[in-house]
Amino acid sequence: MATSTLSRWFHGNVGMVTSVIAAIAIIAIFQIINPFFLSPQGRVTLVYAMSYFLIVACGLTFVIMIGSFDFSVVSMLKLGAIICALYIDDLGLMVIPLALLACTAMGFINGLLFAKFKVPSFLATLGMSMVIEGIALYLSRGFLHIISNRAFRSIAVTFIAGLPSIFYWALAIWGVCIFIALATPFGRQIYAIGGNPTAASLCGINVVKKRIYVFMLSGFLSGLAGILYMAQFGGGSIEMGADMSIPLFASVIAGGTSLAGGTGGPQRTILGVILITWTQAGMSMNAIGHDIQLVVFALIAIGMSILTANRKTMSIVK
Amino acid sequence: MNGAQNGKQAIPPAWTRIFKTHPSIPLLIVLIAGFSIIFPKRFLTPMNLSSILGQFVTIILFALGPSMVATIGSLDLSYVGIWMLGGMLVWHLTPSLGIFAILIYPLLGFLTGLMVGTIQVKAKVPSFILTLSLLAAYSGLTSILSGGYPRMVRGYEFLTGELIPRVPTALFWTIPLIVIAIYLMRGTKIGTYLYAIGSNEEGARLAGINVNRYKILTFVMSGLFTGIGSIIQFQHLGGSVPLSLNMNTMTMPLVAIVFGGTLLTGGSGGPDRTILGTLAFVVLYRGLYISLINPEILQLIVGLLLVLSIVVASRGLRGVSIT
Repeated sequence: MATSTLSRWFHGNVGMVTSVIAAIAIIAIFQIINPFFLSPQGRVTLVYAMSYFLIVACGLTFVIMIGSFDFSVVSMLKLGAIICALYIDDLGLMVIPLALLACTAMGFINGLLFAKFKVPSFLATLGMSMVIEGIALYLSRGFLHIISNRAFRSIAVTFIAGLPSIFYWALAIWGVCIFIALATPFGRQIYAIGGNPTAASLCGINVVKKRIYVFMLSGFLSGLAGILYMAQFGGGSIEMGADMSIPLFASVIAGGTSLAGGTGGPQRTILGVILITWTQAGMSMNAIGHDIQLVVFALIAIGMSILTANRKTMSIVK
Repeated sequence: MNGAQNGKQAIPPAWTRIFKTHPSIPLLIVLIAGFSIIFPKRFLTPMNLSSILGQFVTIILFALGPSMVATIGSLDLSYVGIWMLGGMLVWHLTPSLGIFAILIYPLLGFLTGLMVGTIQVKAKVPSFILTLSLLAAYSGLTSILSGGYPRMVRGYEFLTGELIPRVPTALFWTIPLIVIAIYLMRGTKIGTYLYAIGSNEEGARLAGINVNRYKILTFVMSGLFTGIGSIIQFQHLGGSVPLSLNMNTMTMPLVAIVFGGTLLTGGSGGPDRTILGTLAFVVLYRGLYISLINPEILQLIVGLLLVLSIVVASRGLRGVSIT
């Protein structure tokens, strides 16, 4: 097992090499255009841009690893954030487990629809994203909600060694995700299911259960990201995170997790997250409009899916 | 209604067959009857019926092309993108091309379909990721091309000039499109091949069908139908396009396709189902709209119904590999 893990790690494929080169090139270009990019203040901006994004992307990575897709991660992030904003004054920090529970429950329903009721995951999560956003819209009534609780805000914006604490949270969660993917039986089973669900099932893996777990994990991590997002920005409405979904899956695919499933993993996703969020931050620093950013990320998503698509073993792609 | 409740013997076999292949027909009957009984003063008013027809046109023009793609088990989500980008291109080209600028719509639809089909078949990228990214790219391009302001194009009002009071004229343009779509899928070998590819791609290939060519053709047809439909849509929705993407515009045609009983795993569906599904969805939407005190909950209910209808539509799919 160890050698296969190592070879998976070091066997650099086209997508990963492209991402590394692109990331280095982007850092160099933005640094040359605008020296503010890697200054201490610029670093804080970069870290703020990537932290919550990395957590959601890790959750999505697990789902893509089993060959499925979760369209509702952004909606679950919104739900977690809205719950925090609405009930923080009544419940204090107890709002955190509440938000996590709500998002994990939504992930559970996603998993149930997909694994148990055999609904294609893209469609199931698309429908669920409407439901989840409907709940968030109903709860928030569409208003902007501001958080004044200092203890809650300090979760994300306490500075340690020049960087905000949300960055360390994100790194820690990322580390846990890598541990889950590479060092636990559950993680190995995810790879097995992604590679070939029938074979995994014949090997005695409870595929239905594990698929549900993966979607619950995705919901949990989205909720976590929502909480940290709220702690970072200090407020938000239902409009937050709009247009996040395209950059989000562009980052997972750019990291080297193929849409076919069974390859990649959270250890690679950070590469895509750096590539995408730092491009986003760099473009914003240089006053490049949001619309141009959207086109760029969409093209990255298309280009990387073409690069990483597994054309040898996948004979039928819908 | 009565026939359905009287038991199995009362219904001739043809009816049971139609109900089975078109589950939206009984749904539609129940919905219309239900809303008419609950809200006799508000549902059956000319104004409400006219908005039902208007919304039907809006959704069916978007859903017609993708419903063909659904038969081969793929998804085409680029329709809203074609409409938005095309509208902006029409605005840019009208000064130089005059009335012919509107022809950019079918051209854009055709090229988009060709591009999506070719990439999907040659590079083996899942179509929903491809078309969703393309949708984002198109909406970004629309915003760039607009220069930040909504752009209004005049000169195509004759397309939707009122012929019959309260009936949207766009409906009369839509009917030939629907007829052509149904003929293509039910009356030609293209349709038969697409159903074959959708239900068993490997089998279709072994039977001698050039699967790749027909898959590309499907996306081209979808793009073309969306492009031609967008000409009508453009004027139907006021001669301008929004600058940012509204997710609801994208999801509603999908909901309509699923409401028609089409499962998006392939081998089933088609324009005839989608028309009924659209009608059922629009009746339900308007019915909920007039009955709810609190419109914020509408999205939640539509989402729940979508999830429910997908689950119902995908019953009996055991053993089919899903992703």
